Amino acid sequence: MAEIQLKGISKSFDENKVIKSLDLSIENGEFITIVGPSGCGKSTLLRIIAGLESQSSGDVIIDSREVNKVRASERDLAMVFQSYALYPHLSVQENLMVPLKLRRLSRLERFPLLNWFLPNRRSKIIELEEKVLQAAETLQITHLLGRKPGQLSGGQQQRVAVGRAMVREPVAFLMDEPLSNLDAALRVHMRAEISELHRTLKTTFIYVTHDQAEALTMSDRMAVMMDGEILQLDTPNEIYNKPFNLQVAEFIGSPKINILPAESDDKGEITCMGLTMSQSLRSPKQGNILLGLRPEHTDLLTSNSKNCFNGKITYKENLGSDIYLHVILKEGQHKMIVRTEPGKAIDTKIGDTVKIGLMVDKLMAFEKNGQYIPIKSES
Amino acid sequence: MAHSRSHIWFVGPAVILMFVILILPIFVAGIFSFTDYNLGSTDFRWIGWKNYEALGKYSAYRKMFTASLTYVVIVVPVSVFLGLGSAMLISSLRFGGEFYKAIFFLPVMATLLAMAYAWEFTLDPVMGVLNKVLDDGCSVGWFYKFFTGSWLGFNPTESWYGGLCSDRMPNWLGNKKYALGSIAFIGIWQAFGFNMVLYLAGLMAVPRDLYAAAEIDGANSTWEKFKLVTWPMLGPTHVFVVTITSIRSFQVFDTVEALTRGGPSKSTYVMVYAMFEKGVKQNLIGMGSTLTIVFLGFVLLLTLTQVFFINRKVHYS
Repeated sequence: MAEIQLKGISKSFDENKVIKSLDLSIENGEFITIVGPSGCGKSTLLRIIAGLESQSSGDVIIDSREVNKVRASERDLAMVFQSYALYPHLSVQENLMVPLKLRRLSRLERFPLLNWFLPNRRSKIIELEEKVLQAAETLQITHLLGRKPGQLSGGQQQRVAVGRAMVREPVAFLMDEPLSNLDAALRVHMRAEISELHRTLKTTFIYVTHDQAEALTMSDRMAVMMDGEILQLDTPNEIYNKPFNLQVAEFIGSPKINILPAESDDKGEITCMGLTMSQSLRSPKQGNILLGLRPEHTDLLTSNSKNCFNGKITYKENLGSDIYLHVILKEGQHKMIVRTEPGKAIDTKIGDTVKIGLMVDKLMAFEKNGQYIPIKSES
Repeated sequence: MAHSRSHIWFVGPAVILMFVILILPIFVAGIFSFTDYNLGSTDFRWIGWKNYEALGKYSAYRKMFTASLTYVVIVVPVSVFLGLGSAMLISSLRFGGEFYKAIFFLPVMATLLAMAYAWEFTLDPVMGVLNKVLDDGCSVGWFYKFFTGSWLGFNPTESWYGGLCSDRMPNWLGNKKYALGSIAFIGIWQAFGFNMVLYLAGLMAVPRDLYAAAEIDGANSTWEKFKLVTWPMLGPTHVFVVTITSIRSFQVFDTVEALTRGGPSKSTYVMVYAMFEKGVKQNLIGMGSTLTIVFLGFVLLLTLTQVFFINRKVHYS
């Protein structure tokens, strides 16, 4: 278990600044997710923590020990790679043995042939095999121990990769998009399993992903990273409901949040395409702003209401439990995605005009430059 | 669908060509190997296994096998390890790799026969640059000390180089003690560039993540990573390189023909040269065919070993 701190980390490849002076403090036993679009520097950040890449400046501190000059192999971290990076010539059991052998056996004990004559080696090996078996049991891969990685499915390889990380009880787990090579159903399943593993091991997990769903479901806290900076670090709930800015709001949440242009007057009253909202800004400011409204906070209306848009359906996505309607609004030709229940949308067709109701208390407001503006909570 | 015969027209020419060009000559050589046919004579006699028995009976043929096998045993391991070593050094370079690649690959591109003449000048006992250097080196203190081993406490006059200094420099191609070694040296010089290129390709295919995983797992020395990742991941390359180099070494001919013509006293009498001598120079088609069939047997054996035994072990998926 470990507390990991990053202080002023930056990294450049040639002229290209991938990470810009980044601070992050990860608590003991925490499951933290670093989420961001591809190319935002999140994998590089993880490799810097692991020691596989050296930072251009800044400090990595593990359990109040500065490890800038410490090799990856000496940092006592474990890592799970997107490609799993299993040794293809070794069986699953041997793969799990590698980190144990390299750390627990002396150089002499690992020397081929000669090691047979060393007295304690046999008992050590048995002890290590016991550990491997324990890990295999936790991950339910005991029946695979004799096979080579090439004979395993993606999901099984994934478990072996996790197993290899956990056998030697590292101070923290680093995971670099471990689920992105799996199919959708298995990914959802493994999400639950990794969370479960975290609860059992109670070790620090640093999990890098581009998939906001993984970040939202698994983490204690998540860090949204874009262009080499952490924009927001908070619990998934907080980030979802109070995004730091428009970029974060648009990145987190699927389907994407609807953004509509609006105006606010000197009393903070918001008007959006002719519709006056019952919400107002906490600190009134006159001018053009943007409103954000997530698809699940909109719905089809059967009767007229005060807060209601009219629009034409251009596309219908039926997910079984929900239906997403892509709508072009009459007022201003803006696109919008509306979530509704199948019962309400059963008769709608592409080209129909529908009425859209808004849950105004869920509105988010942003400056033109994307800055979040707090909204006065309903009085 | 009605039975169309068009497939015959598609496949036929290739099958006929393959048969006429590849299979038939082997078959004919097989037949000739049981005769005493001489090129130019009008008839021949069936002599059964006599040609094959001759291979065991005459010392020339025993020397032939010795020469060929010795050559292979020297050239294959040395050129394979040099190839691997240089490939690993080059792939670890940040810049300048292309330069070294080009240099080491030059001997592969050059005509071996032309290069053989260049070597002949280098190795000439009197005028050759090698013996000039060695000769002059006798009077250069550190050079003499280094090669006689006297810096390790050996008696300089008893060492090999010390002996040469007090006597004279060896006739590299004319002395049967050195001739095969010299030919093998040229073979290595020529082959390792090719092996290096194959290994470079093999090294490129090793996933970077495996090295990262090895580092995280605690492999903190280059040697550990080599053992855990590089060597096993190069498995298919090893098999290919060793097979190709063995076959090519069995086929050595141009250097022998240009430099020693099988001599001195048959010490460099390799198989293909023997084939050439018997079948082409002396017109002994029967004996030449026998040698060809035996040679083919060796090469086939190597290839089959690769296919049946080793390939299964090195392809991991």
